[in-house]
Amino acid sequence: MTDMTLNPGASTAAVPGAGLPEKISVRGLKFYYGDNLALKTINLPLYSHKVTAFIGPSGCGKSTLLRVLNRMYDLYPKQRAEGEVLLDGQNILAPGQDINMLRARVGMVFQKPTPFPMTIYDNIAFGIKLYEDLSKSELDGRVEKALRGAALWEEVKDKLGASGLSLSGGQQQRLCIARTVAIKPEVILFDEPCSALDPLSTAKIEELIDELKEHYTIAIVTHNMQQAARVSEYTAFMYLGELVEFNLTTSVFTAPAKKQTQDYITGRFG
Amino acid sequence: MSDTSLKLEAQESSWSKGARDAILKKFALGDTIFRRMTFSAAIFVLLLLGAIIGSLIYGAAPALSKFGFGFLTTERWSVGQEIFGALSPIYGTLMTSLIAMLIAVPVGIGIAIFLTELCPMSLRRPIGVAIELLAGIPSIIYGIWGFFVLAPFLKDHVMPWLVNTFESVPILNSIFEGPGYSSSLLTAGLILAIMVLPFITAISRDVFSTVPPVLKEAAFGIGCTTWEVVRNVVIPYTRVGVVGGVMLGLGRALGETMAVTFVIGNSHRISASLLNPATTISATIANEFQEASGMYTSALLALGLLLFVITFTVLAAARIMLARLARNAGA
Repeated sequence: MTDMTLNPGASTAAVPGAGLPEKISVRGLKFYYGDNLALKTINLPLYSHKVTAFIGPSGCGKSTLLRVLNRMYDLYPKQRAEGEVLLDGQNILAPGQDINMLRARVGMVFQKPTPFPMTIYDNIAFGIKLYEDLSKSELDGRVEKALRGAALWEEVKDKLGASGLSLSGGQQQRLCIARTVAIKPEVILFDEPCSALDPLSTAKIEELIDELKEHYTIAIVTHNMQQAARVSEYTAFMYLGELVEFNLTTSVFTAPAKKQTQDYITGRFG
Repeated sequence: MSDTSLKLEAQESSWSKGARDAILKKFALGDTIFRRMTFSAAIFVLLLLGAIIGSLIYGAAPALSKFGFGFLTTERWSVGQEIFGALSPIYGTLMTSLIAMLIAVPVGIGIAIFLTELCPMSLRRPIGVAIELLAGIPSIIYGIWGFFVLAPFLKDHVMPWLVNTFESVPILNSIFEGPGYSSSLLTAGLILAIMVLPFITAISRDVFSTVPPVLKEAAFGIGCTTWEVVRNVVIPYTRVGVVGGVMLGLGRALGETMAVTFVIGNSHRISASLLNPATTISATIANEFQEASGMYTSALLALGLLLFVITFTVLAAARIMLARLARNAGA
């Protein structure tokens, strides 16, 4: 874990989480929108089976960073990344990387619920069928398991044939989480998953994230400071494309090392 | 200071009260006139439609009462003996449209997918504009190009190949049979395919680009390939629009007259082979109305009524299908 000491932006007094296995290691990552430098040399670990929260004002690059981790930016021709992002030691930014496989290993849940235009059942089964050839009963089992995993099964078990779009916003978001979980990823990226949801649905999803970390490595972008404090073990504070501070969540929220961090979490700016 | 300004404002609004009422009245009058005008424009369209249907039925009545239902099932079209049957034009209309749609739908949707999902940014506009230009070419130009260029080419190169290739394949050997004429069902179908292609492409492209990027990202996010995203997300999301585009193309193919008249051969005979001359409803009318009189005219008008009914049925079927699709999607 010596690379953490190379991190110029982060709090390096004590290496946070040193010794924990790193699922993803971001090293010297720069990201460009056209000529516009959006991430300025980010170094950061995502520890295995931990929840890492990304906080910071809008436009600071936290969603951008998340979109690098499963190379979602690849869909857009003028966006490019430099540096290294290691997933289990393998650089996912290297040319020749199988992007579809990568995205199966690194799942993503978006800000707005994005159910596919198909039935609830198919929303889950579709992703599974991409990778595995299962019998109907095995598939049924996997769909149920995924829906249970997303705490949605009890609410939808009698209407699996209904359109995914017929669910409420909170249910749709849990459906999307179930869909992500169903293909057995290793990492799940949450991009402000609760910003379009009411407090009750938010609480359910936070609970869910807490359960999911047992099996997955999780990164979550949020604008809600309390949410970051509630769900994450590690917090990264970003500002203007730079990683200002990365530490245990308790440290970041109780004794931030940088003044900028303190100003942000106490609501003085941002 | 603030007291005086308040008083001033109060005074001003009381002064303008009478004037304001006058202005409002004027607005109300303008609104009424505007509503009446737009309303009568809408009614006028309905009246026009009614008048066209009415005169078609009136003109077609003699032929329809003489031949009855047999008009639809008779192939024979004999001007001398005044025996008129519409089966051959109906067959030709449906077959040429079917050929056109079989070619234009997959190709058009394919182009639209390429343009929206795969094409490099720098090529999108040129290709898109070229396709829109294709839609703007007058049908007479398709007609002469079809007659002088496409038809001879098909006759000399494509038709012999088709006949030879499918010689020993049952069914297909009767579909592609005979010496091959430059004017044929196949030629007309191909011309129609080229003509409706831009409609299907342009509409599909427009509706494909309405798919929210985040929905596509979600599908890519579970590891879908571009094809899987198109197949399972883009097309289901936009199917109503795509079906609409296809139906618009079909409507045009059914009614297209000029280009088809050039290359169909105008023969009132139904044959299994696509390589033989045939006729369509609109081509028959365009070719024969000048010589027609009496019962002949009435038969042509009956054909026109028939085309009207067919087109109307297709559009109605499309509406019903769309309504059912929308219900099934549960959205």
